[in-house]
Amino acid sequence: MISNLVDNLHFLTAILLFLIGFHTMLTHSNLIKKIIGMNIMETGIFLFFISIGYVEGGSAPIIREGTAMVNPLPSALILTGIVVGVSLTAFALALVIKLYRYYGTIDADEIMRLRSNEE
Amino acid sequence: MSHLPVLLVIVYLGSAFLTPLLSRLKRFSANWFAVGVAALGLLVSGTSALYLAEVGPFSYFPGGHPLPWGIEISVDWVAVYMQLTINFIAFMVLIYSKADLIREVEQGAISWYYTLFFLLMAALNGLALAADLFNIYVFTEISSLTACALVAIKSQRQCVEASLKYMILSTLGSGMVLLGISLIYMVTGHLNINVLGQALPAAFAAYPWNILVALSLFIIGFGIKSALFPLHVWLPDAHSSAPTPSSAVLSGLVIKVYVIVLAKIIFQVFGIDLFSAIPIPEVLLLLATFGIFAGSILAIGQKDIKRMLAYSSVAQICYIYMGLALVTETGAVGGLLHVFNHAVMKSSLFLAAGAIIYKTGIRKIEDLAGIGYRMPITMAVFSVGALSMVGIPGFSGFISKYYLAFGALDAGKPFYVAVILLSSLLNAIYYFPIIVRAFFGQGGGKFSRDNLPRMMSLPMLVLAGITVYFGILPGGLVKIVELAAATWLR
Amino acid sequence: MQDMVLQTVAKLLIPFIQLYGMYVIFHGHISPGGGFAGGAIVASSYILYALAHDVGAGFKQFPRLVAKWLESLGGLIFLLVGLVGIIRGVQFLTNIPEWLGQVGSIFSAGIIPLLTVAIGMKVCSTIVTLFYNLMEEDHD
Repeated sequence: MISNLVDNLHFLTAILLFLIGFHTMLTHSNLIKKIIGMNIMETGIFLFFISIGYVEGGSAPIIREGTAMVNPLPSALILTGIVVGVSLTAFALALVIKLYRYYGTIDADEIMRLRSNEE
Repeated sequence: MSHLPVLLVIVYLGSAFLTPLLSRLKRFSANWFAVGVAALGLLVSGTSALYLAEVGPFSYFPGGHPLPWGIEISVDWVAVYMQLTINFIAFMVLIYSKADLIREVEQGAISWYYTLFFLLMAALNGLALAADLFNIYVFTEISSLTACALVAIKSQRQCVEASLKYMILSTLGSGMVLLGISLIYMVTGHLNINVLGQALPAAFAAYPWNILVALSLFIIGFGIKSALFPLHVWLPDAHSSAPTPSSAVLSGLVIKVYVIVLAKIIFQVFGIDLFSAIPIPEVLLLLATFGIFAGSILAIGQKDIKRMLAYSSVAQICYIYMGLALVTETGAVGGLLHVFNHAVMKSSLFLAAGAIIYKTGIRKIEDLAGIGYRMPITMAVFSVGALSMVGIPGFSGFISKYYLAFGALDAGKPFYVAVILLSSLLNAIYYFPIIVRAFFGQGGGKFSRDNLPRMMSLPMLVLAGITVYFGILPGGLVKIVELAAATWLR
Repeated sequence: MQDMVLQTVAKLLIPFIQLYGMYVIFHGHISPGGGFAGGAIVASSYILYALAHDVGAGFKQFPRLVAKWLESLGGLIFLLVGLVGIIRGVQFLTNIPEWLGQVGSIFSAGIIPLLTVAIGMKVCSTIVTLFYNLMEEDHD
């Protein structure tokens, strides 16, 4: 049981990060915390994907004379994913700045209250 | 000639990069450039459709690397059908946007609007073609981000809030899709759809839980993005507060491309046998039925016209899900046919609503009394779109509902015929009062001219004409759709 | 944050950061890194400058016009290099066999260094634009 846990520690950590980020995104009402939760969730997914590519005793995937190499495909794919995550974070932050200018607060519940007061 | 489908994506990407540079020239009109590029795109997709009819489905490998290592782009009938729909609707909406955008978006942001629009078109065309799970993920992310930006570009409070909500939920969906892709890669080691289709039964025998969890993550992830019933909460705000050209494209194209991508993954990676063995079709049919009724019932109570059209989109997407979840050939034909028909109908309805808002500023339904006399052409287009949505024979909506009903009978589930009939009645309940109030309300009298810019009335009339034409003579369209459905349900 | 210690240290460090970033970009096909990582490193040198001095001084070093041109040119170079494959009669983005030198030397791997440089330019200008625009909000 313990050896099972230790063998799959990377998967468990990745899923734990995913769940923490998911929970933060959905429950906290501060908008900046939602964006931080989004980043944590994406970090968990990237960790999951990259840790699949590990080969025991492998080295970096650069051509040398006859050594075992780590699978380079997940790393290349996740690099693209990280860039996408950066763009999403930047866009979300710009939207939060605009919302702060309109409403004076970055608390989602407060904004709902102000909106329903207007209508 | 076989480079044409890829050239389509390259043309849209290149125009997206050129637009910020060219807009620094004094006499550059971003709009005419956009219309020109969209016309070129429509021409290229038409030519590739003709080429496909000659040669049959083929695969294209960028970089020249053959299959186990290379990226594949599979050009088959589904891809060509989706490309034709996407480029046609984009062309019409771009012609409309020349007159409309100045009122909704600030002057300096117009060239950025067209840049985002081209990136969205490139991503949607790429999604129609991609045959590789990671390409699907990259194009999905590009299209989600640009769709959110197209909603937020109108700097009003509701637009920014709706865009933030759309973005957070959309990121949740993309994260789940990526997790599903990694679960499949873990047990098979491939990412190509066709190779996976062959390697999956062995993997399912060895690791059943991975495959099942990956399947559910795909359904929920793409379900959030395409507004399947309980996950549709972002759609009414986003589509009703966006500028009109964006609403037409978002409602008409973006949500549907995600349904088609989900169907492509399910039918070609997982296969019909796996799909029917676990009760996924029953679950999808149940959610689709709830969505049709919930969307229609919620639309009845709306006061704002664009919000009502957005709730109607929630209901209509569930028809496509229903058509694909009845795993029969006629049902798939009905679902795929509804993709084109609903794109045309919903775009014409949104463009007509936008024209009413442009001319008179009226957004609430109760203020629309007698507007049929002040804007007869616009209300005629709206009436044609509404009658087609309800499913009156003679319009194209009837043809797709006909095929859906026969698909339900073929699958041995006559309950869904009753669902289709009942939901058509519900559609009539919220569309007919608008038409009646517009033409028979007070403020009647004689018809006056529309006085809309010609660039706005022309696309609306073309879309309404296509609705009527494919309602009376649907033969050519149904033939293409049957070839498309046969690629999945061989 | 106009601190003299920070400004002096930034003045000493920025050339090395940029040199390292350009090393990562140009050796993208031989060692780990490539366009994304190298572009981000070069961008961080401009951000360090803008943080040590003022955002206005940052805009003088990296004007908006230069950023716009670099972004569009980066994307267009990528597409044009890919189209060379179509002109030669093979598929999009095919490598050119005559330019495939010896594995491990810097002038090798065909069109890949060109693509890496294009991506590096694009990523650098994107990140600098994002940061400068977000920092500018403070000063309105």
